[in-house]
Amino acid sequence: MSCYITACGAALPDRVVTNAELARWLEVTPEWIEANSGIRERRWAGAEQSTSDLAAAAVSDALNDAGMSAGQIDYLIGCTLSPDYQVPGIAPLVQRKLAGCRQVPAVDLRAGCAAMLYSLQLAGGLIAAGAANDIVCFGAEAQSKGLDLARRSAELSMLFGDGAGAVVVSREPRHGRGLPLEIKDVLIAADGNFAEDLTVRAPGTANGPRWFDAEQRAERLHHPAMNGRSVILHAVRKLADAAIEVTTRNGVSLDQIDLIIPHQANANLLRSLGNRLKVSEERIVVNVDRYGNTSGASAFLALWQAQRERRLRPGSHALILAFAAGFTWGAALCRVGQPPGQG
Amino acid sequence: MLPEVVLSYLTQAAEEARTELPDRNSSLFLSGVLDSFALVDFVALLESKCGVRVDDAELRPENFDTIAKVEAFVQRARGEV
Repeated sequence: MSCYITACGAALPDRVVTNAELARWLEVTPEWIEANSGIRERRWAGAEQSTSDLAAAAVSDALNDAGMSAGQIDYLIGCTLSPDYQVPGIAPLVQRKLAGCRQVPAVDLRAGCAAMLYSLQLAGGLIAAGAANDIVCFGAEAQSKGLDLARRSAELSMLFGDGAGAVVVSREPRHGRGLPLEIKDVLIAADGNFAEDLTVRAPGTANGPRWFDAEQRAERLHHPAMNGRSVILHAVRKLADAAIEVTTRNGVSLDQIDLIIPHQANANLLRSLGNRLKVSEERIVVNVDRYGNTSGASAFLALWQAQRERRLRPGSHALILAFAAGFTWGAALCRVGQPPGQG
Repeated sequence: MLPEVVLSYLTQAAEEARTELPDRNSSLFLSGVLDSFALVDFVALLESKCGVRVDDAELRPENFDTIAKVEAFVQRARGEV
């Protein structure tokens, strides 16, 4: 695979929801939320703000970073668990909101919180096949609109925040605000045996004669549901295994990874992962304390933050990791490029 | 019978949770001895101290909910039953 993440962008709703505010709805304490998640606050979309609004703003930010216009995009890959509509997908809606964007392919990719990794592999394949030169991948969520704000769902509803992130994946390196990242290798996998351990079941055709009805509403099938113990057990194992496999098969040791850029599931999970990989906390990007778990946007936002804070050193290696519903998971090994004039 | 080091881990986890180690048929989860993250460490400990590999298909919380279930799991994983 030879292609580059050449720019990053982000968009976050203005509304900050603190643990104190959320704790009242969930009938827990703010301290309980922080102790169990590491989250202090998260952003929630406004009533009139859709996921595609956030996504379009993040893509525009990434294009600005790249010095590109929307007309230069060859392909759009959109990742979300909380789309504007069931049909059509979010990618065409974002395309419509990007002034000057041509009638290029615009496709949704549903791989939950691991969608960034899936989108990077797909983008790399499209570039290698000659189908595109500059591809925009984005992750965007407005999960807050689907949460069960009650004590029975506190362990899940405390986690989620809204936001969007985007990257430009290009055949050739170019320089935006940050350094280009060469995508050396992407490892992705899935195990559908655990598909029911993290779900939003409705609307859906596996629920009986109607894809959404009063009975499903009463059973709260339209809210996220999780077997938390199972998710955490598998997440820590699979993230660590993926990190080891993708580095080993490329002749890179974990000691040579300057920065791990993980999906921001939960601060305690990131700590557990760091312990298992024997990687110190300062080598792991964490923003879950400020933005919560933004699902499909999360890894995009973590990379955006790493670039913004200039935490990527020229010539170093970075590892993007994610685990998600499905279960799906993966790792992307990247090499950080040189500043302009030195590459 | 689980190795002493495994039982010691559970005893210490119970102390940290300020609770009693439950009897062999009562839930380690509901008693507060093992939370989700302690369970991750506990499974890693089982693998290293009991000489077993927990396959993905067997990596299910219900296999580790009580001391009796853990013992049964280890026996199965070792091919003893």
